[in-house]
Amino acid sequence: MTVLALKPLSEADVFQEDFAANAAHLPGAGQEWLDRKRAAALQAFARTGMPTRRVEAWKYTDLAAALESPLEPAARFPGAVREAGAFAGVAGTRLTLVSGFLHAVGDREEDIDIVDLAAIGTKVPDWVKDHLGLLAAGPDQPLGAASLALMRGGVALRVRASNAALHLNFVNPAGRHDVVIHSRILIVVEEGASLRLLESHSGEGNDQSLTNLGIEINLRPGAKLEHVRLQSESQTALHVTSIGASLERDAGYRALYAGLGAKLSRLDVIVQLRGPGAEANLHNVSAPSSGISDVTTVMDHASPHTTSRQLFKSVVGGHGRSVSQGRVVVREGAVKSDSHQLFKALLLSPRAEADAKPELEIFADDVICGHGTAIGALDADALFYLRARGIPEAEAKGLLIRAFLEDAIGDFVDPVTHDAIWRRLDAALTAMGQEVK
Amino acid sequence: MLEIDDLHVTVDGRDILKGITLSIPAGEVHAVMGPNGSGKSTLSYTLAGREGYAITRGRILYQGEDLTQLAPEERATKGIFLALQYPVEIPGVVTLTFLKTALNAQRRARGESELDAMRVLKLVREKAKALKIPEEMLKRPLNAGFSGGEKKRMEILQMALFEPKLAILDETDSGLDIDALKLVADGVNALRAPSRAMLVITHYQRLLDYIVPDRVHVLTNGRIAKSGAADLALELEAHGYENV
Repeated sequence: MTVLALKPLSEADVFQEDFAANAAHLPGAGQEWLDRKRAAALQAFARTGMPTRRVEAWKYTDLAAALESPLEPAARFPGAVREAGAFAGVAGTRLTLVSGFLHAVGDREEDIDIVDLAAIGTKVPDWVKDHLGLLAAGPDQPLGAASLALMRGGVALRVRASNAALHLNFVNPAGRHDVVIHSRILIVVEEGASLRLLESHSGEGNDQSLTNLGIEINLRPGAKLEHVRLQSESQTALHVTSIGASLERDAGYRALYAGLGAKLSRLDVIVQLRGPGAEANLHNVSAPSSGISDVTTVMDHASPHTTSRQLFKSVVGGHGRSVSQGRVVVREGAVKSDSHQLFKALLLSPRAEADAKPELEIFADDVICGHGTAIGALDADALFYLRARGIPEAEAKGLLIRAFLEDAIGDFVDPVTHDAIWRRLDAALTAMGQEVK
Repeated sequence: MLEIDDLHVTVDGRDILKGITLSIPAGEVHAVMGPNGSGKSTLSYTLAGREGYAITRGRILYQGEDLTQLAPEERATKGIFLALQYPVEIPGVVTLTFLKTALNAQRRARGESELDAMRVLKLVREKAKALKIPEEMLKRPLNAGFSGGEKKRMEILQMALFEPKLAILDETDSGLDIDALKLVADGVNALRAPSRAMLVITHYQRLLDYIVPDRVHVLTNGRIAKSGAADLALELEAHGYENV
């Protein structure tokens, strides 16, 4: 259920102002197909406006209140960027996006078509025209809609082969002003093709810039996507990513999201299971010790014989807050839907907070839908057991915390990616005062 | 080895142990028997140093040193081992990794050199074989999904690996069928040594057929009501705790 709240008129909306002033200068402006999509997206955004806690899906994460200063749209970064990203050691085509603009392409594999959305001209491939804006642009993802309406940069990618590998390395350099980065990633994985996508976000400086990223994932029949996403922006930044994924018959989407940076991190995911045999498996880990790490999903079983699994784990310390919201919808006729979601949070300090809200909306018979939530402190029995075996308290705690998170990471990724994620996780846990060795 | 003198312990404000005096010399195995709620597990947790078990009077001397202020890990390092009645399942920690971490933590604390993974594996394999613990079990998360018998064998494996000076076995027989019981008892008997003391806590006499104690103490209502030789256990089996 989407609840819309009216914004007071006096609170002028920076996004709408931006559109009013700059629509004519946005990439691809003047092309009817894109102008139309941008205008529709702006309208979708306007139904909610900048989300406050009065918007049901944002009740735990007040983005409007977190925006303290006026934000200018980000401009293309003129300098050189050395940041290789968290997954530098992993093979595959490497795209570096700086402030949301495509900056460099490295180790290019021929089996991935790449279109720079900042340089979109009159010659646009049909697959871009056909797909752009179908997902992550509706009123149920208002920030996703804004990222399309105000899109300055990003890339469109099409995969036609098996075992393609791609690294999206997002870098936000320190700037003099707080900026907002509206960018889009469009991914089309053609029938029977498969892609391994590594996405990393890093930032420097201590500004309060907002990344507003919209990701569209189109998986054609039998297509597979394995998506590992590591968000480790600077601790002052704001980060919102809206993902829309459409899975056709027998398509598979496996994702591991790690939300480790930013003072406010919101990952907003809508997965549509649109054909029999479609299967989505989402894992999320977070370790906030000061900010908010929010993952909110809608798993839409729109076809019979579809499967979804969700496992979200967060370790919360200091005065950090984790939010896990998951709505599973089984539509009329979507028999033999099989869905499970489990949200677990470990609270390590008295001021830590975890909000978990699983929801089920079932309109079909003969389905399996399970959900569970567990929020608590470290297990005292387990801690005593380890200490009674000679393991010092701090090390024992670290072992248990690591085990708790590893459960969601473990076999999900290859060893190199695994280590890359753990390097960032270890740093986040150390910042929390938990030594994990 | 262990001298318990007038030990009083409260848990959550309730008096559980009400003046226990007990002495176990090196090389001896003592059994503490008692009905449910007599304070058997409280005694074992107190000796191991679990939080929440407050000593209100008396003291515990281990090798002449007062234990009361020591953390559980410090006691373990000094050679005290508690085999739990209900070993904890720890999903996400591989058994072998746990064994290596614990062994090396103890060695480090004693100023000994740490053992590398190969050495630990060799050592563990050797001990596991005698307890019929398959190697596959060592690769699984600690105790997760293990049967009751497997969990108890894992406790004895740890005891064999850490080579404690004082071993406390808390109802190690509970939940075991006769074959598993024999296997565990053999494991314990193999560790009997002149330099080692053992405290075997049990509800039933059955275990003591296999691990024959030097002394038997009967614990009722937080006190040692009676002490005697091994045949005291048989007497209890015949007449119950009520006539003690």
